[in-house]
Amino acid sequence: MSTPAAAGKGAGVQRFVSTVVEVEGRSETKIVEMPDFEPAPWDESATLTIVGQRVPRVDAREKVTGRARFTTDIQRPGMLHAAIVRATIASGRVTAIDPSGALQLTGVLDVISSADLPHPIKAGGAPLFLPAVSYAGQPIAAVCAESREAALAGAAAVRLTYEAAPFVLTFEQATAPGAPVVRGTSNVRRGSPVEVTRGDAARGLADAHVVITREYRTPCVLHTPLEPHSAVAEWEDDRLTIWESTQGIFMVRDQVAMELRLAKSKVRVIKDYMGGGFGAKNHAGPHTFIAALFARRTGHPVRCVLERDEEQTDAGNRPSTRQVVTLGATRDGRLTVIDATCEVPLGAGGWEGGPAAFYREMYSCPNVRTVETFVHVNTPAMMAFRAPGHVEGAFALERAMDVLAGALGMDPLALRLVNFSERDEEKQREYSSNRLRQCYDEGAARFGWADREARRQGATAPHIRRGFGLAAQVWGAGGGPPAYATVRLNSDATVDVLSGTQDLGTGARTVLAQIAAEALGARLADVRVILGDTERTPYAGNSWGSMTTASVGPAVRSGAMEAQQRLLQAASQMMECHPEDLVAHDSIISTRDNARQMSFAEVTTKLGNVMIMGHGSRGPNPENVGLMSFGVQFAEVEVD
Amino acid sequence: MQLRINGRTREVSAEPHESLLTTLRERLALTGTKLACDRGECGACTVLHNGDAVYSCITLTRACEGDEITTIEGMATDGALHPLQQAFVTADAVQCGFCTPGQLLSAYALLARNATPDATAISEAMSGNLCRCGTYPKIVQAIQRAAEAMRAGDA
Repeated sequence: MSTPAAAGKGAGVQRFVSTVVEVEGRSETKIVEMPDFEPAPWDESATLTIVGQRVPRVDAREKVTGRARFTTDIQRPGMLHAAIVRATIASGRVTAIDPSGALQLTGVLDVISSADLPHPIKAGGAPLFLPAVSYAGQPIAAVCAESREAALAGAAAVRLTYEAAPFVLTFEQATAPGAPVVRGTSNVRRGSPVEVTRGDAARGLADAHVVITREYRTPCVLHTPLEPHSAVAEWEDDRLTIWESTQGIFMVRDQVAMELRLAKSKVRVIKDYMGGGFGAKNHAGPHTFIAALFARRTGHPVRCVLERDEEQTDAGNRPSTRQVVTLGATRDGRLTVIDATCEVPLGAGGWEGGPAAFYREMYSCPNVRTVETFVHVNTPAMMAFRAPGHVEGAFALERAMDVLAGALGMDPLALRLVNFSERDEEKQREYSSNRLRQCYDEGAARFGWADREARRQGATAPHIRRGFGLAAQVWGAGGGPPAYATVRLNSDATVDVLSGTQDLGTGARTVLAQIAAEALGARLADVRVILGDTERTPYAGNSWGSMTTASVGPAVRSGAMEAQQRLLQAASQMMECHPEDLVAHDSIISTRDNARQMSFAEVTTKLGNVMIMGHGSRGPNPENVGLMSFGVQFAEVEVD
Repeated sequence: MQLRINGRTREVSAEPHESLLTTLRERLALTGTKLACDRGECGACTVLHNGDAVYSCITLTRACEGDEITTIEGMATDGALHPLQQAFVTADAVQCGFCTPGQLLSAYALLARNATPDATAISEAMSGNLCRCGTYPKIVQAIQRAAEAMRAGDA
């Protein structure tokens, strides 16, 4: 990609530049804007009084009183309800759809299937209501009714006729000779396994004094966020508003606009409180489009909430894996080879979220080879699920490291310390920082790793055995642009932070309020964080890949600092001094000698409706630096 | 028919097959009680029925005529949080908050019959309320703190 022409402020300064943004190990080149105002990061020498403190969640009171409104709580005047009719065969074709049984029921108003779509619509990666069935649970039709109960009864009353076909459910079935093909021309995604090598695995094996090989299997895991996938859609002329339980309001907006052939500005997506997502709520799904389509057809707002069984059969999963791991090491424990062969059945769709990256990222090792085979099978598609692939990879590699430690007669912790990676060997670059050693040291000290043999004898009964273990992790978490925030000081001295990000329940509202309060010098209690509205809040990306704090936090910080600059300028005129002589803390502005003070409220009262605002944006990351997070977990487990 | 909800008498009409959850949420706009599994498994819809914690998604409204129903909206008094609510805030026994109303009402019913539950008794009493964020240890702590605060308040 060529670097766009500078449209900058000063000569020679490029305002818009290309940069590489990483999300969950995948890299993308984006054009980003250099912020006007990029304060130096808070480092360990910074005096912070709010950031880093344990504070109650700023929205905890709303949650414990039941006032927090989630998407499933949205009620609009005249609102109708939608339910989805799903295939009950794993493979084949729907030959007829008979809605008459549904339409006879009291309260059922409308039934739609592929023939009723204005044009083909892709929902969550697959065409909506596709008559060609590739898994049980695939949406085939939908019912709209006056109540949820009637919609569900209607969905059960729609009769589907099929021509069933053979299917495959497991990796072994999908790769057997003559297996039925799930999609495309081969069940192996992209036609062949994905092999990545560093160094020479054969050489690494030859160099090893000790070699172990183990096979590990991890099961399919379901997200099951307590709040089901849900959407409420409402049209006003040609403008569509969608309340959606989502990790990415702008992604939902863009997908809905594209698939419904609307201008993005005609689609508004809102998400206030959200009952978890865990990676399964990144996209507009069938429920989103079904709500929007019925709302258009009926002229009423429509709510579509997945039932619990739909949530478990067609709302994403962490795919199962089979991993065969070979590790080789010298007598002193240095890894000479990591070799992993991984098999992942993705379902009827999905992407390459496999375990192999973890093998390449976790330890220092000159010879690494990973082979991953992703296959499609006739089950619902996987979706991102809390560090997709890394959890499965960590389970297998970390167990194999314990086996290797046993074979070497080494302490499992010592083996990990010997193979600590000083730099990002996967991408051949330095880390921005890496405190994994401190994690090992601190964790071992707090856990009492050194005393574990004595504690092993302390099992509470003869039939109970006590064991100890540890596992480390590495995960990309640097965040990146673009992300924006507006920070405004209201005329009553309260502070609003506006950013189009999401709080999944992770605490983003609290973290961003802390950052704004710290950077502006305001009281935390006076800060309100307004998120989740594509029309009213500036852009921020999906809340995925451990990106939110690192992407949106700097934008909030620079916005709050800009607001503080303006506030101090206003105050300096009132206090007849230089802005540089003033500091703000606890919503009070004082001269550096503390001789004179004005509260934020006194300043804003004098200002009247003149507003103090700051705009922050997230600048690019430093180039060629690995921005990774690290951790270690220790466990003491009794087995009966 | 009449229901007594949070100390007030409410006149409602409900279908014979209608769940208390639907009546509360759709007819009375008391959306603090959550719809999640809709099959008596997750506990997000928990309310108090004559003081007992019940799943409102599998309780028929018509079976509650004249009975006392308490929802999360009735837990705080005059804007002051109940000690359990306060303890959930202080102990950070809340992440996304979707299960929280149900957790609080189950905890309320527990403390009404056992003012000094140990961790095992709490885990057992709360086993019908799922939290997918994984706040269980903090929920146990919060309930113990609230129990202490309530005993101190009674003394």
